[in-house]
This record gives sequence, C-alpha cells and structure tokens, in this order.
Amino acid sequence: MTGRRSGRPLVPAYLSTGGVARPSRNSLERLSVLTGGEHVPDGLPAARHALLKALDGGSLTVVETAALLELPVSAVRVLAADLIDLGLVSARPPVPLAALHDPDLLKRVADGLRALKQ
Amino acid sequence: MIEIPDLAAGGLAAGTVLAFVLGGGLLRSRRHRARQGEEIAALRTHLDGARQEIGRSADAFTAEIVHLANQRMPAEATRAAHPHIQVPGPLHPELAGTGLGAGLDSVLDGLLTAMAQERKRVDAAARAGMRGATRDIQAGLYRLQDVLRGMQQRYDDPELSQTLFALDHENEQSLRRAQVTAVVCGAWVGLAREESHLVEAVTGGQSRLVGYHRVRIHNHLEPGMALVSHAVEPVAIIVAELLDNALRHSAPDTEVTVNLERAHHGVSVTIDDAGVGMATDERAYAQRMVAGRDPILLSELGDPPRMGLAAIGQLTRKFDLSVDLSSPSPYGGVRAVLLVKNHLLSRIDPVERPPAASTPRSTRPEAPAEARPVPHTRTHTAAHTTAQPAAPVAARDSAVITHEPAPDGDALPQRRRRARADAVPAQAAAEPAAPRVRERTPEEAAAALGALQSGTAAARSALETEGNDPR
Repeated sequence: MTGRRSGRPLVPAYLSTGGVARPSRNSLERLSVLTGGEHVPDGLPAARHALLKALDGGSLTVVETAALLELPVSAVRVLAADLIDLGLVSARPPVPLAALHDPDLLKRVADGLRALKQ
Repeated sequence: MIEIPDLAAGGLAAGTVLAFVLGGGLLRSRRHRARQGEEIAALRTHLDGARQEIGRSADAFTAEIVHLANQRMPAEATRAAHPHIQVPGPLHPELAGTGLGAGLDSVLDGLLTAMAQERKRVDAAARAGMRGATRDIQAGLYRLQDVLRGMQQRYDDPELSQTLFALDHENEQSLRRAQVTAVVCGAWVGLAREESHLVEAVTGGQSRLVGYHRVRIHNHLEPGMALVSHAVEPVAIIVAELLDNALRHSAPDTEVTVNLERAHHGVSVTIDDAGVGMATDERAYAQRMVAGRDPILLSELGDPPRMGLAAIGQLTRKFDLSVDLSSPSPYGGVRAVLLVKNHLLSRIDPVERPPAASTPRSTRPEAPAEARPVPHTRTHTAAHTTAQPAAPVAARDSAVITHEPAPDGDALPQRRRRARADAVPAQAAAEPAAPRVRERTPEEAAAALGALQSGTAAARSALETEGNDPR
C-alpha cells in the first residue's frame, strides 16, 4: 500500500476500542471471515465505522481487516464482536484445512471447462 | 631763648597729650579684645552646635545603613520570589530626594540586578540538568513503546492484550510528562514525525491522557487536511496539555468538546470544558504563559511545577502557533483555541493515506467520494485480488466505474475487499443465503480458474524443489 505509514503511529491502538481488549464473544479467530452489511448507521464510534467502511459490504478475514485498519488483531476482534452484537456484521468461522477443496479436482474441473470452451 | 618754665610747661603739655593718646589707645584695644572674646565665644558655641549636628547625622547615617542592611535588602531579596512583599523605605523619609537617598537606592538596584543574574544562571543550570535527564527517560519510553506495540501485534490473547493496552496507555502518560518537562527546559520535542493528518495529531494528543474517554472530537475539516512534519508533535503536545487542563478542571461526568474548524488564516482547534472556569487573574496568568513571551524560570512554576502552560508557551513561540484562553466557554468553563496557521498546514490524499481508524471522520459530506480513485472494480475474478487490475473485465463491464490507481512499482498487492453486492440488490434480498452470485461468462470463469491453477502449480513446484511431498 502506497500510503503505509513508516514512522511511529500517532494514535495508539487502545484508543480504537476505548481501552478494551476483551471481545464480547470469543468466537472470532484470525481467519474468521467478517461480512459487512450495506447499512452504515450514523453515530458509530470512529473505529467501528472505519471497520464497516473497510468491509464495504464485502467480506474480509479478521487479520486482513486488521492490516487494512493498521490495528492489532486483538482490537479488531473487539470492534468486530461489537458490530456483530449490533447486527451490522456477520462472521463465519474460518474454513478448516480439511475442508479445503482438493486442488487436483479443481484442476480437472478447470481443464474440463477449457475443453468445453474450445 | 627759651625759658625753663616754658620748657617745663611745654613738656608737661606734651606729656598730657601723650597720656591722653596712650590712654585712648589702651581703651580702644581693651574694647577690641572684649569684642574678640565675644566672637570667640560665639564661634565656640557654634562649633559645639555643629559638632553635635555632625554627631547626629553620623548616627542617622549609621542607622540608615543598618536599616538598609537589616531590613531593606532582605525585603528586596524576598520580593524577587514573592512580589507581594513590601520593601520598606529609608528610615528618614526626608532623605528621599538627596544624594544619600539615591545612593542607597542604587545599592538596592545593584543587589536586584546581581540577584536576577544569579537566578537566571542557577535556573539555566537546573534546566540543563533536567533536559539531559528527561531526554534519556523519553528515549527509553519510546523504546518501551516499540516493544509494547510489537507485542500487541503479535499476541491475540484477550487478557494479555488488555494488559498490553493498559501498559501502553501508562507509557503514553509517562512519555507525555517527560516530554513536557523536556520542552519546558528548552529541549526540542524529541520526536520527528512525518506529515500527518491534523485530526491524527489531535487524537494522538487525546490518547495521552487519563480521561480520554471524556473527550469528544468533532472534525469539521475537509478530509486530507494535514500538518507539515515539524508541526505534528508540537500540535499533539499542545492539544494534550490543553485537554489535560480541561479534564482536570471539570467534573468527571462532563465531556470535553474539541472542534476542528477551518478558519481564514488556518485551522482552529477549539477545546471547551464545562468546568469551573478561571478567575480573571488566573486567566491573565494563563494567557501570559501560553503566549510564551517571557522567559521561563523553573523556580516560578510553583511546587509541584505547573509545566503544562509553560510548555505550551515554549511551543507556540518556537513553532509560530497561537493559543488563546481569553474567552469563556459557552459551557461555563474555559475555552482554549489553538490556531494553526496556513504555513503549517499541508494536504495528504485521504484515499491513498487515510487517517488512523480511531480518528473521528469528517462531518463534511463526502462529496468527492464518488471520484475517489479507489480500486472499485466489481469483478468476481481471482485476478482482482492481485495488484494488477483486471483490465479486460473492467473494460467489458462498462457499467461499472473504474478509476484504477496508478500501478505502483514497489507496492505490495493488497486485497481491498471482496465484491460489493449492490450490483444485484434485488437478488440479494431474495436470496440471503447466496446474495453475491452473478452469472459468470465462461471467459471470467476460465480466467479465475486458470489463475487458481497457475497459483497452485507455482506453489507445488516451489514445494517440490524443497523436496517435500505436496500431499
């Protein structure tokens, strides 16, 4: 990202959550996928608003959101948990490694599609 | 021929005349002597009087010198530290206009000058000592901050994070005190920052205080309003000190309001508290301190020293900022206005480098948001997740706006976000389970899967070269 800050951040992370680091739910992991709603209500605290804006109606994992917002994962978990409580964000547990698709199978599907196209 | 009797008669006559003459002379000289005697007596009396007079004035002079040494000089010395003390005048008020009176006064003046110089010298030595000590403390605290922030990034455990947040906050407060002390002692702010959003500097100042929860920042600036690099830390320090005063002098259940507004000559940061306010003399003192015109003496800051206003004064003078405390707040407390002039302002592209997530967003309507060069390509291809824009897709999907960012050579690929759903709002409402499915053209599907395939192949070949079994 071109705008990455290089110096010492002016605003410490604890300000984003008001000093809270214990999320209201413990279900969020680094790779949990957050999905934002379209509606961004007024009057949300700044960091929560920023998180919703970062999701922008789409989905990102917790750790990606943290990187985007330049906040520690622990802070994002607190913010996301609050937004989930408000019903503004939904979360999905990370895809377990065992449930990942077999790359071989995908490759064969891709080949099949190419064959169809030709 | 002269007869004998005639001769006798003549002689007698001459004798008589002589006797008369001599008698007269004698009489005259006796009278003269008497007059001289009187004169001598008069002079002697006069001399006695003069002697007594001299004795008296010598006594008076001695008394005056003793008075000067025992009363006036100590009083003058005390008055240098306590201006309310009255210095007594000379014992004999009639001396005031005389040379002696002027001489005595010049002794006092000389004493004052010597004392002032000595005080300045001692104070400068004390400040130099403090400066050195606080500088080291400040550097140590910055190192501690680095460690704490690194740990915050590394560890997710809520309990540990909670402790790390608390430690970070404590560290910020210690840092603030060390920094303010150093600034009062004439040091530089101690940290070079890069050009930053003004709202970040203000929020940064807020985060350094115990009662930061009570601060409400309203940002009425257009997005991207920034401070030049050398003004960032001074503004953060001044805001922190003004906010600290506001929080300290207002009830714990009241809020402190900060408004960031554009003014003609720059940007004003207005801090209002609903506290007790200041008395007229306090206000005058505070206004004098923040103006920074008078040199600072540590010995005048009280015990414990009130560093905040003095630090603001130092910074306003050095960085051409101005702070005004003269108007009362509409909330009943104090209103402090920091004016950052235009030559200290700059602009940062708020899209390319957005302000920190915790900073309050601008209340200005985001009118230029539509024209922002955000990678808004609503493609559903895996290729989109790389830095290279999916140009053919964007070109085909002409209904979709695309302002692609200039491809940046050394920028890492960054995934912004996945797929907005507004292309299919009706569908999304109807099928909440799969709202973002859009029919793909075979080309898109092929591109997506092709990318996946090549990615997998690349990963596999990398693994194979390491000699590991991919399965």
